[in-house]
Amino acid sequence: MEILTNAFGALWQVAAAGLLLGAGLPILFALGVRSLDRNRVGIPVVMAPEGTVPAGEPTRTEASQASVSGKAGAALCFGLCVIASLFGIVVIVFGKQMFG
Amino acid sequence: MTEALFILVVVIVTALAFDFTNGFHDTGNAMATSIATGALRPRVAVGLSAVLNLVGAFLSIEVALTVSNKVVSIQSGDGTPIESLMGIPILTIVFAGLVGGILWNLTTWLLGLPSSSSHALFGGLIGSAIAALGLGGVKWDGVITSIIIPAVAAPVVAGFVAGFGTWAVYQIVARVPQARRDKGFRWGQIGSASLVSLAHGTNDAQKTMGVITLSLIAYGSWTDTEAIPFWVKASCAVAIAAGTYVGGWRVIRTLGKGLVEIQSPQGMAAETASAAIILSSSHLGMALSTTQVATGSILGSGVGKQGALVRWGVAGRMAVAWVTTLPAAGAVGALCWFVAQSIGGAIGVALVFAFLVAISTWMFLYSRKTPINPGNVNADWRGGLAPVDETDAVEPVAVGAQPERS
Repeated sequence: MEILTNAFGALWQVAAAGLLLGAGLPILFALGVRSLDRNRVGIPVVMAPEGTVPAGEPTRTEASQASVSGKAGAALCFGLCVIASLFGIVVIVFGKQMFG
Repeated sequence: MTEALFILVVVIVTALAFDFTNGFHDTGNAMATSIATGALRPRVAVGLSAVLNLVGAFLSIEVALTVSNKVVSIQSGDGTPIESLMGIPILTIVFAGLVGGILWNLTTWLLGLPSSSSHALFGGLIGSAIAALGLGGVKWDGVITSIIIPAVAAPVVAGFVAGFGTWAVYQIVARVPQARRDKGFRWGQIGSASLVSLAHGTNDAQKTMGVITLSLIAYGSWTDTEAIPFWVKASCAVAIAAGTYVGGWRVIRTLGKGLVEIQSPQGMAAETASAAIILSSSHLGMALSTTQVATGSILGSGVGKQGALVRWGVAGRMAVAWVTTLPAAGAVGALCWFVAQSIGGAIGVALVFAFLVAISTWMFLYSRKTPINPGNVNADWRGGLAPVDETDAVEPVAVGAQPERS
């Protein structure tokens, strides 16, 4: 019985860590992708048909470019993802020393 | 050459062969989703994964000498063989176990089913230990905690994490045009898949390094339990990388095309979930199988996306393979031990080795009947592993092998 309790104790921790990093990083990355797409500026090459784009938003076209604020937000999100990955590599190499 | 030295050489060759099968069986865990979504061309994907496995294997600084201690009683606490088994007896047990592991890996590869290489190795060792030492040779507590519970837990936890991640990602990028969305997520896929490859090289090559070092100690040519010879590290690293580069296309196809129709955001969510769970689990004292985590993650990424196609029949076949791994590899391990032992000595081991080579060759030749390769690995999934051929008269609309993307 004790081995089961121990196993499920460890399992909860794995699930929690997995959820934080395993779902958190894709969410962060997705925010970066969305940020790149927000407030795109540029010359509309093909006007979107009426009603396909919510009022007040710039028309999206292939010629548009990410705005400066969008780029900055994306850089922040992607940067955090890169840092988390580097942390992952450190864990791969030195994990046993760090966590016993 | 003495009898013991001959057996030692055969054990080392067999261990490296196991390491090689471990590589190509598990390429798909990291790279299947990137290949399926076109984030990486098939050859580039396996090449990248091979290099990262090589680097990962060299990065491993831990000595995994006591790896068998979780499930069988053939080593003492510090990793040295137990006194009564020193020499040929333990070499024979390890050899038979490795043969069981290899043959199970090859069988599941032939069927295109991802299954845990570590569990196959443990299964083989358990079988040969039962044959040699009786039921008392197995630590049943360890079998429950390090094989059975993780096998049930891994796909559930990974599926849950990847499912939630996928769902959240699609909510966030709902209004980003698909072309730009996929372009961004392909980079995320490549990064997360690379991390899985690196972790795989470190974790899995270590096990073979431990097995070879154990054999060297048993033979008497190595005594240090805190270090492994450099040539062992180097040869294991090369073996797993070479195996990865060969690319288990059959398993890659099942994971990338068979289980779920996958898109870049799903691929990234799945691989990140895999990386996070593999790394956190091995450091929280509950080592989950890379294969089972990766499979669970890919399934989860299908469940998490609205309207995504998930083929539960394929998942069911995998579940059957996982349940069968331990007894099947164990039965082969036990059989090989009996054969080697009853004939005895070098001749017995040589005979079992010849049997291994013969069966492996047959399986390879059999796989040529329905070849899966970089050219057709991404072909549409139509009811089975084998891509529907243009010459197939049964299909009214023949969908041939897709050419490799360029």
